[in-house]
Amino acid sequence: MKSVLVIAARDLKRFWSYRFWLAGQIVMNVADIVIFGLLFNNMINRSLIPDYIKFVTPGILSLALFISSFSIGREVGVELRREVSDYLLSLPVSRVELVLGRFTGGALRGLIYQSGFIVLAMLLVGVPSGYAWLVVAYTSITLSFAMSGLSIALSTVTRDFNLQATIRSVVYYVLFFFSNIFYPPRVIAARFGGFADAVAYSPLSIATSLYRWAFGYTSEVDVAVDSLLLAAWTAVLLLASYFLYLRNLTKKG
Amino acid sequence: MRAVSSRDLVDLLHVIEWDVRKLRRQTLFVAMRTTWFILQVIVFGTSISLLVSSFPGLNYYDFYLLGVFTALVYSVSIARGYEIADEFDEGIVEYHLALPVKRSTLALGRVLGGSVASFLFTLPMYAFIMFMIRPDNAFYVLVSLAAIYLFSAGVVGLVITVVLSVKSTDATDILMGVIDALLVRLSTVFYPAPVIAKVLPYYYASLANPISSVSDFLRVLFLPEYVVYASLPPQGQVAYIVGLAVGFSYLAIYVISHKLEAGGWR
Repeated sequence: MKSVLVIAARDLKRFWSYRFWLAGQIVMNVADIVIFGLLFNNMINRSLIPDYIKFVTPGILSLALFISSFSIGREVGVELRREVSDYLLSLPVSRVELVLGRFTGGALRGLIYQSGFIVLAMLLVGVPSGYAWLVVAYTSITLSFAMSGLSIALSTVTRDFNLQATIRSVVYYVLFFFSNIFYPPRVIAARFGGFADAVAYSPLSIATSLYRWAFGYTSEVDVAVDSLLLAAWTAVLLLASYFLYLRNLTKKG
Repeated sequence: MRAVSSRDLVDLLHVIEWDVRKLRRQTLFVAMRTTWFILQVIVFGTSISLLVSSFPGLNYYDFYLLGVFTALVYSVSIARGYEIADEFDEGIVEYHLALPVKRSTLALGRVLGGSVASFLFTLPMYAFIMFMIRPDNAFYVLVSLAAIYLFSAGVVGLVITVVLSVKSTDATDILMGVIDALLVRLSTVFYPAPVIAKVLPYYYASLANPISSVSDFLRVLFLPEYVVYASLPPQGQVAYIVGLAVGFSYLAIYVISHKLEAGGWR
């Protein structure tokens, strides 16, 4: 366990060395909320969404967590390319501890980055009650681990830096567009029919629905079912990422 | 003024070819980028345009298509910055400087080669946008291609100037990321000028933003009814696009010709 924390702490420490990147990301995420509030809110059909800011802010929570947990993938990709991964494999920790440490490091990055946006969501949407805080914590922890693992595994699929970035971007955009972050399910259903059901089951959609419930935007969420689905997504993604990362880390050439 | 020899022209073509040939190795990359662009346009674009209340005489989805394509050309051209940073990392910039090619030829070749490569990269996405818009005037298609190339040349010039001046991978990452994200947001790419005009600082920023000029120029070409929503008159947009291309290309050529030295990359 101690080794896992040491590996995670290393990744967390390196996160601070990207403070300018972090500042830039925070500015962009906040700018998105401000722009949505000042501009897009005035363009929206009010019969579909009465207040777009309240609608999109819980989605930005998912997005913030997703972006920051995903950020570790870029570094893991560079490590593989520069053969730092060989050094990591030679450390006196087991492979399991190494992989879990990386996953934990990525997840902690996401949780820390997201914390400021949780305060913003409390100001813009509402303050969660006692039990709802548990749902927020549960959603953030599970989603951050799932996205951290996924990003790490994807970054080791190839040593080509451009291809690594492209694969991450494709997955990033698929998860991002096929979600309910920016539009409600009935809009997706109006455009794509039954496909809306599939979108509702994506990990980002589930997390966003749970945040919307916890911050009091809507009560029409089955918290128990969504929590179980998110746990299932996290378990599957972490297991797949674990084997993929380990396989690519030890693969030669 | 020194005469340009046929040898210089051959060298220039070789430098341009070097940049363009790299595209061959990026076939998969282009295919994936095209896929996610089409996905964005079909899923995100159609869904978000359903949310938008109507503007008289304006179909928001068409508006969005030309805006998001401009943002794509911009991002692809900005991505040249990461490639140049990679070249420095791998010693390719030093190799280029050691070639028996005049600095001015090398400089012009890199700007032209980078912009041609970026332009070619975006052509599959352009074809898709034209398929969706279904233009009825072939001349406008040619004019739009010229505008896109000039815009790309301007952005590549900007990127070369910044990356070769800061000479740092981290600074490149951060600067390019911030420039990319900020300029796209502070433009008329996703919001018509009259909506932006409700927030004056935002409006003035978008007026000064070349991305607004390019996206609005494409809209005026293919969606004539858009002219009442445009941020600048078409002549102003053209002047902006040409000025950007000439200004930043000159700056990039100046940096490579007079300032660039081997080593010192951080």
